[in-house]
Amino acid sequence: MAEASRQTADVIVIGGGVAGLSTAMQLARRGASVIVVERDRLGNGSSGRAAGLLGQLRGTTAATRMLMDGVDIVKELEQQADVDIFVQTGSLRVAATAERAQEITDLVEMGKSIDFEIDHLDNRQVAEFLPYMKTDDLLDACYCPTDGHLQPAELVSAYIKVGRSKGVEYRTDSPCQGLVIEAGKVTGVKTAEGTLYAPAIVNAGGPWSYLLAEMAEATLPTAALGHVYLTTRPDENNPVDRLSPAIRDRHLRLYARPESGGLIVGMYGEETVEHDMETLPDDFDMSALKARPDNLHLAMLIDAAEKRFPWINPRTPMTVTVGIMTFTPDGKPFCGIMPDVEGLYHCSGFSGHGIVQSPAIGVIMADLVLEGTTSYDIEAIEADRYFEMPGFQQRSDIKDRCYQMQAAYYGTVEGGSESTDES
Amino acid sequence: MKILVPTKRVPDTDQKIRLRDDRRGIDIEHLPFVINPFDAIALEEAIRIGEQQDSVEVLAVGIGTELYETELRTALAMGADRALLVEVPDYSDAHAGLDSWNVACLLREIAHREEPDLILMGKQAVDDDASQAAQFLAALLNWPQATFASTIEIQPEGARVARETDSGIETIQIGLPAVISTDLRLNEPRYASLPSILKSRKKPIERISLADLDVPLEPRIKILNMEAVSAHRSCQFADNVEQLVEFLERDREQEEE
Repeated sequence: MAEASRQTADVIVIGGGVAGLSTAMQLARRGASVIVVERDRLGNGSSGRAAGLLGQLRGTTAATRMLMDGVDIVKELEQQADVDIFVQTGSLRVAATAERAQEITDLVEMGKSIDFEIDHLDNRQVAEFLPYMKTDDLLDACYCPTDGHLQPAELVSAYIKVGRSKGVEYRTDSPCQGLVIEAGKVTGVKTAEGTLYAPAIVNAGGPWSYLLAEMAEATLPTAALGHVYLTTRPDENNPVDRLSPAIRDRHLRLYARPESGGLIVGMYGEETVEHDMETLPDDFDMSALKARPDNLHLAMLIDAAEKRFPWINPRTPMTVTVGIMTFTPDGKPFCGIMPDVEGLYHCSGFSGHGIVQSPAIGVIMADLVLEGTTSYDIEAIEADRYFEMPGFQQRSDIKDRCYQMQAAYYGTVEGGSESTDES
Repeated sequence: MKILVPTKRVPDTDQKIRLRDDRRGIDIEHLPFVINPFDAIALEEAIRIGEQQDSVEVLAVGIGTELYETELRTALAMGADRALLVEVPDYSDAHAGLDSWNVACLLREIAHREEPDLILMGKQAVDDDASQAAQFLAALLNWPQATFASTIEIQPEGARVARETDSGIETIQIGLPAVISTDLRLNEPRYASLPSILKSRKKPIERISLADLDVPLEPRIKILNMEAVSAHRSCQFADNVEQLVEFLERDREQEEE
């Protein structure tokens, strides 16, 4: 039965999250025939649980350009798919310690040097802006009016809508069961409905991507780490306007943004959960992940949230979202091919930033697959940057490094030189 | 005032539930377990009563194997003062398990020993949906009972309970000690605070064995067979109302067959 439905395409994308969907859409826009194979439902993995915060100003101009271009792509998508994706709330970064205040000073200076709209905001202005936030301990804050968030579900549906109109074929409930490898080149994807052949295969498997890479005997240094955020239900005493700015408090390791009259608050904590994707059942559904009432990471999140938003406590009516992020040792994704394995293009490891990076990443992936090169500066995100590098090959080493990256993500105090990107 | 809260450890029903090959139970591999959600509501209510009144002791009780410790730990973290594990053998392979009657018999013995003023428990467990244990227990103890509570007001002379019935909300007054079973709308259980989780780790989990209790278990139910609910769901878009009616009539005919 398997070979009865032999099918070919120009590109097969494994993974129907934002990375795969954006890539498929951009490829189809340029005339490629594309099949997306997804193990579950489209957008039901990490993409379906994301907060989608968009902070465009990053540690490097390459990363900043990617995000700023992403906004333009999203605005175009909104027209084509007739959905609202980008909510321009502006973003606010706050500092209650001297070292974090210095970070803000540096950030404002850097932003201004590239004509990015950003400035300091004094406590009185912050308090007016965000009456539901504790501000009396703040030393400094900065505001970027052009930031905001992307609505993940709307983004997913826009990618699908536009992709479908360009001929992308989506196969859901269709896990990749293996890769066809002929003379060192990946040429096909095995599924329960048969084998699909294409000269180019994209590995956009998110947390599963390292397992897909292993099918081609390649090592992709990503790790699947748990993440949790809460969404308060609307509270008439603490109304959250849908356009109130996103907030980042790196000292408390928190991010926050408005959502349906309530507030999303999430945390990049010192500790998190490691998932071994190979041990999960075949029909694992990320949407069924839950936090127990005594989940320690959730308790740490609520504890930190209460310090910035004093009306939030363990009894506040809230929804808790638990998901999996795909982290890399440096917090940057892997995009492109690796030596020794032709035909397999990786697109994974967004380390909590897949939603906002996906618009430009789709363009970059389409460039790489169809032309072998891109006008974007992708040095920092090339898939082969740890190729055969000692200390980045064993699963245990990879997991340790990714775990440390996650812990350092908001934890490390930035000083002067180029350091961790922040969102 | 002492409040006893019996809690059942149940599979998280939001997960995919698979049957065992022998069809006399469910496959528990990979399956996360939780405190029965209705029992968590009972626990939350007991903790709230404790926060409103002086000298309230909340005792969470579980009946099961040592696996139960996780859920009792959760109960302590949420705010129970004590946790008691009634250690019984693993019944998951006995095709009978602890049915509601035996649970009620065990709880009667616990109630005799602990002498609570109030027993608060979920109106049903979401695994077997029996909705019998609270009623059996009240009858065995010969205590008043108020089932399906959506509000509970503790008063000097007893408790005032609003019950959710099919015909509306019924408010009744009962004397204590009593058994109250809790419905969905009574409250929303809290998450545990960080200090409470850390504190609960130091609290002991008390244990009592079946032999100590001297209650013979006499299963009254034998599970013969279990069938999964059909997971097949099809989605069809109707172009117009006429077509929708056509679909509905076809489905009805198929159901009647």
